[in-house]
Amino acid sequence: MGAKIMVSIRLKVAPAVAFDLFTQKVDDWWRKGPKYRMGPQGRLRFEPGEGGRLVEIYDEAAGELFEIGRILVWRPGERLVFEWRLPNFTADQVTEVDIGFAAVEDGTRLTLEHRGWDSLPPDHPARHGMDDRRFLLINARWWEDQFEALRSASDE
Amino acid sequence: MTPNLSVIDSTLAALADPTRRGVIDLLRERPRRAGELAAAARMSGPAMSRHLRVLRAGKLVEESHPENDARQRIYQLRPEPFDALQAWLEQVQQFWNGQLDAFKAFAEAEPTHRES
Repeated sequence: MGAKIMVSIRLKVAPAVAFDLFTQKVDDWWRKGPKYRMGPQGRLRFEPGEGGRLVEIYDEAAGELFEIGRILVWRPGERLVFEWRLPNFTADQVTEVDIGFAAVEDGTRLTLEHRGWDSLPPDHPARHGMDDRRFLLINARWWEDQFEALRSASDE
Repeated sequence: MTPNLSVIDSTLAALADPTRRGVIDLLRERPRRAGELAAAARMSGPAMSRHLRVLRAGKLVEESHPENDARQRIYQLRPEPFDALQAWLEQVQQFWNGQLDAFKAFAEAEPTHRES
């Protein structure tokens, strides 16, 4: 079956440009809601290259950051795959975001697949006393806040 | 549009196991007897029973008995949890739609970034 989503969009920039902007400028274009629950309003950053990370930085000097996930595929202008974890996921609870940058006549077709929603382990021992319901409830609240932020932003 | 979170919770937990995903695939075709499911998974009856219990608890499947045999158990899918999961995934999709819209606006607004 596969619990995953796919979103596709066309951009009037070349794939190499789209890839660079997507990764290098992620904090400039990423929408953050007022009730964003990944923690304080940190800065998002892709550490370039496979083995790098997508992190949200709260305090650079103090080294306070949250690792959203490792970068699994880094092919500039072609493909970007990274893990996607929320703060309440344990280390092996991971979903995956897979983004393709394909050249089309007037720019780029960007296709994003977010998969793995059906493979979250139900009863991981290192859950820090947090049961499944709470775990998913917190995730759901996080997403709901995301959507609320998006809605209010688009209403303005 | 807000999905029932406890339903999604138990749905995801039930679907986290490959054997149970296999059972769901088989039941998508038609209702089946417990023994049939055990044989298809090359599994003992009791082992399959444990998986079916999780699926029942998650309300992904329901059991019934043929009219002529009260001992037989026949399993079939319940659509509701899948609808709830679908609603959840639609929310994830909306999230990324919003993010990619923002990215498109950003990428195309910068003249220096445009393909010449």
